[in-house]
Amino acid sequence: MPWSEILAQPLARRLGLLVLRRGSSGAFLLILAVLAVTAPNFLSPGNIANVFAQSAILGILAFGLTCVVIGGGSNVVAGGLDLSLAANLGLCAAVYSSLNNAGFDTVQAIGLTLLCGLAVGALNGFTVVVLRLPPLLATLASMNLIAGLELVLTQNSVLPTDSALLDTLAMGEWLQVPALAWMLLAVALLLGLLIQHSPYGLRLYAVGEYPEAARAAGLRVGLYVFSSYLIAGLCAGVAAFCSAAYFSGSTTGSGDMLLSVVAIAFLGVVFSRRLVANIPGTLLATLLLGFLINGFQLLNIASFWVNGVQGVLILLVVAMSSALRKEEGGL
Amino acid sequence: MPAATSRKQHFSSTRFWQAMALAVVSLGLGSLAHAEDSDVPSLAGKRIAISMTGTSHYFDVKAFEAQVAEVKRLGGTPITLDAGRNDKNLVTQLQTVVTQKPDAVIQTLGTLSVIDPWLKRISKAGIPLFTIDAPSQYSLNNTTSDNVATGKHLADQLVADSGGKGNILVFNGFYGVPVCAIRYDQLKLALRDHPELKIIDPELRDVIPNTVQDAYSQVSALLNKYPKGSVTAIWSAWDIPQLGASKALVDAGRTEIKTYGVDGTPEVLELLKRSDSPVGAVIAQQPALIGKTAVQNVARYLAGQNDLPRETQVPTLLTTAANLEQVQALRGDQ
Repeated sequence: MPWSEILAQPLARRLGLLVLRRGSSGAFLLILAVLAVTAPNFLSPGNIANVFAQSAILGILAFGLTCVVIGGGSNVVAGGLDLSLAANLGLCAAVYSSLNNAGFDTVQAIGLTLLCGLAVGALNGFTVVVLRLPPLLATLASMNLIAGLELVLTQNSVLPTDSALLDTLAMGEWLQVPALAWMLLAVALLLGLLIQHSPYGLRLYAVGEYPEAARAAGLRVGLYVFSSYLIAGLCAGVAAFCSAAYFSGSTTGSGDMLLSVVAIAFLGVVFSRRLVANIPGTLLATLLLGFLINGFQLLNIASFWVNGVQGVLILLVVAMSSALRKEEGGL
Repeated sequence: MPAATSRKQHFSSTRFWQAMALAVVSLGLGSLAHAEDSDVPSLAGKRIAISMTGTSHYFDVKAFEAQVAEVKRLGGTPITLDAGRNDKNLVTQLQTVVTQKPDAVIQTLGTLSVIDPWLKRISKAGIPLFTIDAPSQYSLNNTTSDNVATGKHLADQLVADSGGKGNILVFNGFYGVPVCAIRYDQLKLALRDHPELKIIDPELRDVIPNTVQDAYSQVSALLNKYPKGSVTAIWSAWDIPQLGASKALVDAGRTEIKTYGVDGTPEVLELLKRSDSPVGAVIAQQPALIGKTAVQNVARYLAGQNDLPRETQVPTLLTTAANLEQVQALRGDQ
């Protein structure tokens, strides 16, 4: 294989490492700088706050996926993966809209919606940990199941709803920053503390990267993996409120978000020095995508180009990180 | 008539009078579209945001292209936005358009409950907001087809073709959509004067997506139940169920039953060309004229003519095998 020979050369390897470890933040800043110079009003505080708010739904879902990837390992095929996140959001938003329209009080409607998200997380955890199905297939199956449930509930139609909570989320502002932007930052802060700075987070990384060593050290690996799916389910529930605020109810087509969520979680890897999935990296990747979409619209460039750029970035990241993994495995 | 004057240059005089007669046939009451191209104020130096819900359907593409062309013709700069039929993209694009500070926004289609809060935000930001087929309370003017006349002409044609007798299968799955309700009510109104013409109970439900396949299988199944002579016509509020029903009739050799619908989708017009066509009539909308009219309303408003009606209605075209070519020429399909 000529390609693997090229990649095996020490110089290419070192270059790849350097680009991945140091270059990604630089590339982000470069993109921002280019957009700031070329796109009108890009740097206005209102626009930046707007991008943060627009990133809330995808960002919170991607945080959930990040936790699953950390707990299950970063191998795309055999590692941790939750493909049901976007469908879970769709179901939770439909559940909240239905409950709210049926006259349930605020606490009940919010509680049951979060429970719905958690239940889907528990189902995924059960199939992956207890039934030992590969996460890719297990969550693919639950994705279809949940999307079907959403169809049954909504008859494939838009369910408009209105509540004080949604009004606050959609239109509320604090320090001239929209409520949805605060939601994104709050979830990032909470999960950042839990995953990056707590004993639980450290053990979750251990379980994901070296399950055998973690087991030998006395960690209950299955329980940690299960908990990562619960976090993901909860994230879907929280993101559902952002989505319901965004669309004034539940709308069809939530499943379309899945690819972006997966892309963001894997892109987030390049914002860490050790090239592992992490919460701050996912936040940066979410914002990068948000700024790209925003900048392209301000520059009057068709939004389809964003998909292209996103695809190229993923290809680069996946190719580079698997090359690096090969290198690490050989050491 | 103003609607036809503008097109004089495109047609020979015979064609022109044919087209004019056709347009007059389908004119309803209410405020009608003006398309006098020469007296429209200039849009020079103006940036007009053309926000599309999608550009994948015939209606979308024609309305979109016409808006862009008209903004350019009037000397303005179009800002083109396409949400690709995705609500998240649509809301995001409506939020960001406020940052772009265009001189006006034209929103085409969209689920009203989803987009209305963000249309409100555009309107509150002081950006003049116009809509096409989206009757928002925040829109200065909504350009749309004249649906009362549309429903009436379709029903009248059905009554005339059937001789006022027989049974009708009706697709009525979207009575919740205002334009569909108007068209259905017009059918009921027409049937009141023709007691021998009856709607078969229960009514059929058309669905989205897979509309064509679903209508095809529903009608195919019902043809076994209803032998020749027991059904006269199939009516639907739009022409995608009509397309599925018509294909089922062709495949079953039952083209004695005639179908009726609204929109003028190219595939349905194509079916009209068959010698044994089951298509009785289809009311064609004029998406290009709708798009052009919306832009002209923007130009008038920006020039200080603030007395625009809340709604501008664009005529629709009753299309049968007899006048198919004129309709296609008038819509710019050929």
